[in-house]
Amino acid sequence: MNIQPSPALPPKFSADFPPRSRWSALLAQLPAEQVRTAAAALALEVVDITLPQSGLGLMQLNDTALNDNFYLGEIPIARAHVRVKSTDGQAGEGGAVLLDDRARLARAIAILDAVLAAQLPGWESAATLVEQGMAVHEQLMQARRALLARTHVDFSLLGQEEEGE
Amino acid sequence: MGYVAIKGGKAAIEGAAAATDYLRACNSEREAPLALGAIEGQLRLLVSRAVSEGGLYHPKLAALAIKQFQGDTLEAAFALRAYRSTKPRLLETPPQNTAKMRVIRRISSAFKDIPGGQMLGPTYDYALRLLNLGLVNEDPGVFRAIARRFLDDAPENELPDSFPKVLDALRAEGLLPALKPVAGTSFDVTRQSLIFPVPRSAALATMARAETGSLLAIAYSNMRGYGDVHPTIAELRVGYVPVMLPHPVTGEPMEAGEALMTECEVVAMFEGDDQGGKPAFTLGYGACFGHNEVKAISMAILDRALQKGMKDGATNPSEDPEFVLLHVDGVDSMGFASHYKMPHYVTFQSDMDRLRNTQAKAQQKDIPQKKDTA
Repeated sequence: MNIQPSPALPPKFSADFPPRSRWSALLAQLPAEQVRTAAAALALEVVDITLPQSGLGLMQLNDTALNDNFYLGEIPIARAHVRVKSTDGQAGEGGAVLLDDRARLARAIAILDAVLAAQLPGWESAATLVEQGMAVHEQLMQARRALLARTHVDFSLLGQEEEGE
Repeated sequence: MGYVAIKGGKAAIEGAAAATDYLRACNSEREAPLALGAIEGQLRLLVSRAVSEGGLYHPKLAALAIKQFQGDTLEAAFALRAYRSTKPRLLETPPQNTAKMRVIRRISSAFKDIPGGQMLGPTYDYALRLLNLGLVNEDPGVFRAIARRFLDDAPENELPDSFPKVLDALRAEGLLPALKPVAGTSFDVTRQSLIFPVPRSAALATMARAETGSLLAIAYSNMRGYGDVHPTIAELRVGYVPVMLPHPVTGEPMEAGEALMTECEVVAMFEGDDQGGKPAFTLGYGACFGHNEVKAISMAILDRALQKGMKDGATNPSEDPEFVLLHVDGVDSMGFASHYKMPHYVTFQSDMDRLRNTQAKAQQKDIPQKKDTA
């Protein structure tokens, strides 16, 4: 099988297309059914390199005060690792790890990850999904920035000026 | 005397479960069942408490546990712990970096001008504690408009997603001890028993999933005078930490998702360096899943108190690792308290027998005394 290299940013993508390290999280922003349907619609032969799994991960945190590591607690984890082959014989490998407990969703995202990384037939629709996920994420980030912007403290010394009402 | 096996009560136990559910649903003519999304959104601080004390970041299941146990946070945390015990552990993450936190709140009581600025975010700190009677019969249309209006009124901004740490600025000025290399592997409190002395990673992990009220009570004892941490909050931040894990194909770090957490770094009394270096402030650290500021502050104070206790010996309960760490877990302590409700018929029978014997002996002893006095 001819495994294609998985560049960090495949050449056909625009410069502002997110790196591979964000594809899973962005695809996970979309409704799971949409992602699963998109992955199933690709004409591919899929082999699981590792069976899709769901379980837990122990989250380790770095204490920024004294630089000790410790375990904060557990997080749900779903992961998948697949090899895909298109009808014209091109192949690629994809993977996904999600903070989620839906193994089937992780597998669908792993398939899309493979198609995107190797730019197999259908990669454009997968790229569109990533862009849609990015739009959802950006909306979320805008709401979070609004929480900050509306509560930014404008300090002034007492008596220097009256606070505007 | 041995324990006597008893049976019976099956129907009563089943009835108790039904009775509990009845009380949840007895107003169903007028009220709809709680949707998990409503619990997750509108009771977000309760969900935060459950994920933190359950030690499992799963807001949806935490909302379910809160619904199932009708708002009891101890039981909700217990249910999350029970759930986690049924799941396989797939991985341990590399140490995650809170400097990358997508912040929604960030304050410092040490400096007004912190790098990046102070943002109050969602807080009740400056709210009047007066009941808002407008929420009694909240109009759904008005309720829906709240979020839209908030976003519409937000000023244009170019704010970054993450911010530098206040401690880095203090460290750059030489006011904090230099960072030491990470020592040893982290202690897993879910699989290893606490046998004292324990490393600091065990103390932090235990407190991260401790019950909020228990941590607060012991930290409060330190604040009131049974200890001398005298903390100043260098930084308290709340936000979403992107969880970075190795990509299954490339091995490079990839974002798997994000977890809401609260982090607090306190600066405490300064002390001299053991190796004759310059005196520097001491530090305490607190962090937990979810939005739970009182817990993170309490944890940071206790972290500092425990460091002192481990180094110089405990002079107060809050400096004693065994006292603190063995008494702050909500599931442990709730379990012990609740077990007293279980039948103790045999042990109590034994207590009664002993009391009757003792009373009889005392009476026998009293009889000659009474004769003497007569």
